[in-house]
Amino acid sequence: MKKQAEYNVTFGGIGGQGIIKASELVGWAAMYEGFHVKKSEVHGMSQRGGSVESHVRFGKKIYSPLVAPGQADFLMCFHADEHYRLKHFLKKDGVDLVVYLPTLKDMIENPRHLNTALVGVLAAHLPISDKSWEKAFKTVFPKKILAENKKVFKKAKAIVK
Amino acid sequence: MAKKTASQKAFLSGNGALAQGAWESGLAVACAYPGTPSTEIMESLALYKELDVQWSVNEKVAYEVAYGAAVGGVRSLFACKHVGLNVAMDPLMTSSYAGINAGFVVVVCDDPDMHSSQNEQDTRWVGIYAKLPVLEPSSPAEAKVFVAEAFKISETFDTPVIIRMTTRISHTKEDIKLGKRVTVKPAKLEPNMRKYVMVPGNARLRHVFVEKRLEKLQKYSERTKLNRVEINGSWLGIITSSVSYNYLKEAYPDASYLKLGFLYPFCDEKIKAFAKRVKKLVVIEELDPFIEEHIKALGIRKAQFKDPSFRLGELTPGVIADAATGRPKKVKKIPGRAPRLCAGCPHWSTFSVLKKLGLYVAGDIGCYTLGALPPTSALHTCICMGAGVTFNEGLRRAAPNGRIVGVVGDSTFIHSGITGLVNAAYNQAKGIIFILDNSTTAMTGGQQHPGTGWTIRNEQTKTLDVAKLCSACGADHVDVIDPVGKLKELEELVKQRLDADALSVIIISHPCVLIKKKK
Repeated sequence: MKKQAEYNVTFGGIGGQGIIKASELVGWAAMYEGFHVKKSEVHGMSQRGGSVESHVRFGKKIYSPLVAPGQADFLMCFHADEHYRLKHFLKKDGVDLVVYLPTLKDMIENPRHLNTALVGVLAAHLPISDKSWEKAFKTVFPKKILAENKKVFKKAKAIVK
Repeated sequence: MAKKTASQKAFLSGNGALAQGAWESGLAVACAYPGTPSTEIMESLALYKELDVQWSVNEKVAYEVAYGAAVGGVRSLFACKHVGLNVAMDPLMTSSYAGINAGFVVVVCDDPDMHSSQNEQDTRWVGIYAKLPVLEPSSPAEAKVFVAEAFKISETFDTPVIIRMTTRISHTKEDIKLGKRVTVKPAKLEPNMRKYVMVPGNARLRHVFVEKRLEKLQKYSERTKLNRVEINGSWLGIITSSVSYNYLKEAYPDASYLKLGFLYPFCDEKIKAFAKRVKKLVVIEELDPFIEEHIKALGIRKAQFKDPSFRLGELTPGVIADAATGRPKKVKKIPGRAPRLCAGCPHWSTFSVLKKLGLYVAGDIGCYTLGALPPTSALHTCICMGAGVTFNEGLRRAAPNGRIVGVVGDSTFIHSGITGLVNAAYNQAKGIIFILDNSTTAMTGGQQHPGTGWTIRNEQTKTLDVAKLCSACGADHVDVIDPVGKLKELEELVKQRLDADALSVIIISHPCVLIKKKK
């Protein structure tokens, strides 16, 4: 992928799908890579099954914490309904990772790993080193589930040609 | 929440960054009651072992304890959401007169768009009303810097300082440089009755001081770097603050800016000079026309403002150009998924019984407010904290024969329901107050409170006996029941208490399903 001045990722799904965790991982990894990072979402009642939307932007200097409509390089949707709600964020030539959902759902044994798997696919497209991802995983996941998540991430990353 | 790492940087939310900045500034005491979007400030502060932090019973109490500590001589902080400040307005207004002994910062998190609130009030007006300085950061990195400035301003001018955040600042995360904590020597606590005993004779003198302080603060507003002029092209000048600045910088990178960080008192001379330097002048801010009205009062005729339709809700990158060019707000939002009570939540049982009996249910603020939504649709009022108790009484005074009850959560009852129950008993009101005791402050993510017997740092403490308290308040009957699997018993009990000409409390006791998950 060619170097860009900034990278915009929009995440969406419903409460409980691990969207915040996924955007958290990307945010920490981008920070460890040395980028200026901003990430924004609204918590509020998402834990009660409401819609969740999260935006991560990184580059040399980032002002807005939200991605503007039509400016997302990547759309990471965890649920078909939310995909409909959020697809206007995607750039004309942006990458819609929703196409990977069926493959990833087949690939993972534990449905709770879907968020990590999607981040794996996203990672294949981002200029972030394995070292920074490694540090981000260590920061975000408790020790107990670190190894399994790293495994899922690696496997998912490898399916992107 | 702040997570400490070996590196000198962390990925922190606005709330986390503000906490880090306060800690670095030598903060000693901090108090709050949970409230979205402010909750993580105190949760983050609790991670720094050297701080004395607490979940207070409500915002008034939190304000008084924190302010008391500032009068006592150590740097202190109070945090709340916008509607939480209403509860603390009584001490706030007079603390403005009495001033401080050591730095005191009041952090208020507004919620434009009402992501998780009952109104959209704009806290900046409190600056005018209480005659206090208002700072407004536009990012987590600025929140960290501004809180350090706020402590200095507080001590220089003998004043509480308000930092106004919004959901978008509080919940945005950014890479933040971590610094060291400074040591601040506590100020000596000595009696100073003229300053701290606000009886009329002393308060009149302090009001003179407050007006003089405002003049000094206005001069400071002119010179502080928190009000920043960025000169680029002269074709367009934008006066703005808070997160709007960031959206505008991306939409109009070659415009000139007057970015206000020290909102109130206003920097009139800076504003006038900036207006002269640019051909076209646009003023953009979220919510109320706070800056707008002042600029109109200054008589700057060329200034253009957003359409009044933008006084509602958040500004976003998608609408910023419309706001900046005076066009009305286009509403074409695809509705999101509505929240609902969790699977296994004890409130389902309670509301199924209340619905079945066709009762008019007075409610208030908490997870149980979701009882108003389908499929239960069994909660009929929600105005503010604790009103589940008092609305039962008010409604019954209007409709003495109505089938009316009140519901209130455990944390909410302790916050501001107790006085309502005392009032109901004293004034001989009847009916049933349901205390929906799920052993936590659930809606804000599960914080401890006096009823749980655990502190903010999960240390064991005294436990408030809510049943005993209700009896002491004057309730005629106090029942405790776990409703899960006992719907029939609950229904019978409610019918029996409804028929009795009495003031009854039924404590519905079953823990929140998310507490177990957390542990």
